[in-house]
Amino acid sequence: MRNRTIYLLLLPGALFLTIFMVIPILLTIGSTFFNEGSFSFEGYLHYFQDKYFIGILLTTLRVSLVTTFICILLGFPVAYYISKVGTRTKVLLLLLSIFPLLTSSVVRSFSWMIIIGKNGVLNKLLLSIGLIEEPLNILYTPTAIIIGLVHLFLPLIIITLIGVLENMDEDLLTAAESLGASRLGVFAKVVLPLSMPGLVIGSILVFVGSFTAYTTPALLGGKQRVISTFLYQNATTLNDWHTAAIVATIMIVITLLVTIIMNQIAYKINPKG
Amino acid sequence: MALFTLENISVAYNKQNILQDFNLEIEEGKFVSLLGPSGCGKTTTLRLIAGFLESNNGKFLYKGKDYTKVPVNKRNFGFVFQNYALFPHLTIFDNVAFGLRLRKASKSEIEKRVASVLEIVNLRGFEKRYPKELSGGQRQRVAIARALVIEPDLLLFDEPLSNLDANLRENMRIEIRRIQQELGITTVYVSHDQEECFAISDQVAIMNKGIIEQLSDPATIYNYPKTKFVADFIGFKNFIDFEDQTIHENEIELTKSGYTFIVQKNKENSDTDKKVGAIRPDNLVIRPIQGPVTSTKNALPGKVKIRTYLGRSYQYIVETPIGDFTVNQEMLVPYQVGEEIILEFPANNMVLVK
Ligand SMILES: Nc1ncnc2c1ncn2[C@@H]1O[C@H](COP(=O)(O)OP(=O)(O)O)[C@@H](O)[C@H]1O
Ligand SMILES: [Mg+2]
Repeated sequence: MRNRTIYLLLLPGALFLTIFMVIPILLTIGSTFFNEGSFSFEGYLHYFQDKYFIGILLTTLRVSLVTTFICILLGFPVAYYISKVGTRTKVLLLLLSIFPLLTSSVVRSFSWMIIIGKNGVLNKLLLSIGLIEEPLNILYTPTAIIIGLVHLFLPLIIITLIGVLENMDEDLLTAAESLGASRLGVFAKVVLPLSMPGLVIGSILVFVGSFTAYTTPALLGGKQRVISTFLYQNATTLNDWHTAAIVATIMIVITLLVTIIMNQIAYKINPKG
Repeated sequence: MALFTLENISVAYNKQNILQDFNLEIEEGKFVSLLGPSGCGKTTTLRLIAGFLESNNGKFLYKGKDYTKVPVNKRNFGFVFQNYALFPHLTIFDNVAFGLRLRKASKSEIEKRVASVLEIVNLRGFEKRYPKELSGGQRQRVAIARALVIEPDLLLFDEPLSNLDANLRENMRIEIRRIQQELGITTVYVSHDQEECFAISDQVAIMNKGIIEQLSDPATIYNYPKTKFVADFIGFKNFIDFEDQTIHENEIELTKSGYTFIVQKNKENSDTDKKVGAIRPDNLVIRPIQGPVTSTKNALPGKVKIRTYLGRSYQYIVETPIGDFTVNQEMLVPYQVGEEIILEFPANNMVLVK
């Protein structure tokens, strides 16, 4: 009896999600298969033949994957370090590392504009020490978007990795070493596989976040469209809701696909994870 | 000849010295235990030998070569951890094969050696399981197999049985001893369990606060502890700090508060700075006061203060003019609390310690 009543606790949340999320999503997806009242795939066919759209899709994918990869590379050493220090330092470092999440995307993006703009701090510095002759064109390119997204999402990877690294038994690393593993070997054969659960969750968060981010690419990307700014343009500027729904469905499907693929890779590396 | 030697080793945590001027010499093929109370530095010593820790000064010599700075992964020592430290993401086969793969052994060789070492620890057929799917005893045997398979030059155990229940512990220690003798690997074994160390070792080192108080074979330690700490640790509960000592040809005469004690002389106790008498509760004898007076030596008048029933015997706390003594005595009709008695110290059961 108790078991059954406990499900009642789920009811408010489930109801809310169904009414405001599941049903709208299903309606949106459903609507994409109807063109002027009859069932068709025409909308999708149209998009997958459109070079402009494919270009935006690939850029978005590339930006998201590169962002995820850089976040992992930068986040791992930081997380490892934080997981090893004493409690008081740890709290401080954790607060510092999640700080980017606590500031507004608009403010953050404008700061980057000041830094990487054509007459920005970075270019001035590089020009003055003579490292470059012409100012670098970083702002309003995919690189600028990646810089902004890495800044935004690095904390997510760090936090999820600290979770797994903190719980890793130190003796496992010592054991591997005593069996003959070098530092690098210990990392590749023990630390990395055992970090997989956190790494996958962190990577999915970063990837999905980057893939769907709006403010950062809108401000730092300039004319360079990504899929969410393209979606917004169709929906509000062009008032083409049918197209917007199709793009939204494509986003959902790709997000799901990438999540599944990442899980598969993780399972390959650590089947017990 | 010594296989390895620790010379004047010091280890400190947070500026606090755990080992200081520590010396230890272990012979090839021997099974040596480090025994001592919790916190006395046993694990620290073992980790130092393994190379997990660095000493601040001193030397670690292995086969005459200076190993002090040789890193862990170049030492080829097998280490068995208290909590097993099996890799949770690898199968039993892969756990055991871990060290062989790092040594770039061929696939067929790996299969052969893993199979043979799993045979030794009685775990054939468990290759495909994961550590989570095994019992504590089985996990410990995997840990031993993983350390054995690399054919280590030295095998190190840190309280490997302390997470197992009593029955299993006894079986496992017999098994560990059998494997060690079969393969003839020099072994250092850490434990705080006296019986376990005595049962399993060629030599036992009793440790106290970062120093070795005595290193001998189990029987010598059991019968002739050298220091008060060792005697106390292995169950000599009663001590007398003597004031005076005269060494005769066959015996040693000692006095305390006017009472005289005779201790038989042997090669272990002719040391003149050993002036503390130690005797086990089992070896003290309580006699009724009205019995015939045999000797005034090795005897004290006393009164029973506390009596505890232990099943096989009674335990008494006896009050005497030179302090309280603990006595275990088997008897049908016990002495009463408050009863006046004579407490005897048989001359051949008292040992002298520092
Ligand atoms: N990593 C460490 N940091 C600080 N102190 C430690 C550390 N490891 C052990 N100690 C201290 O060193 C002493 C000896 O520890 P250890 O060698 O583990 O003892 P044993 O194994 O005999 O129980 C203890 O007092 C313990 O508190
Ligand atoms: Mg210990």
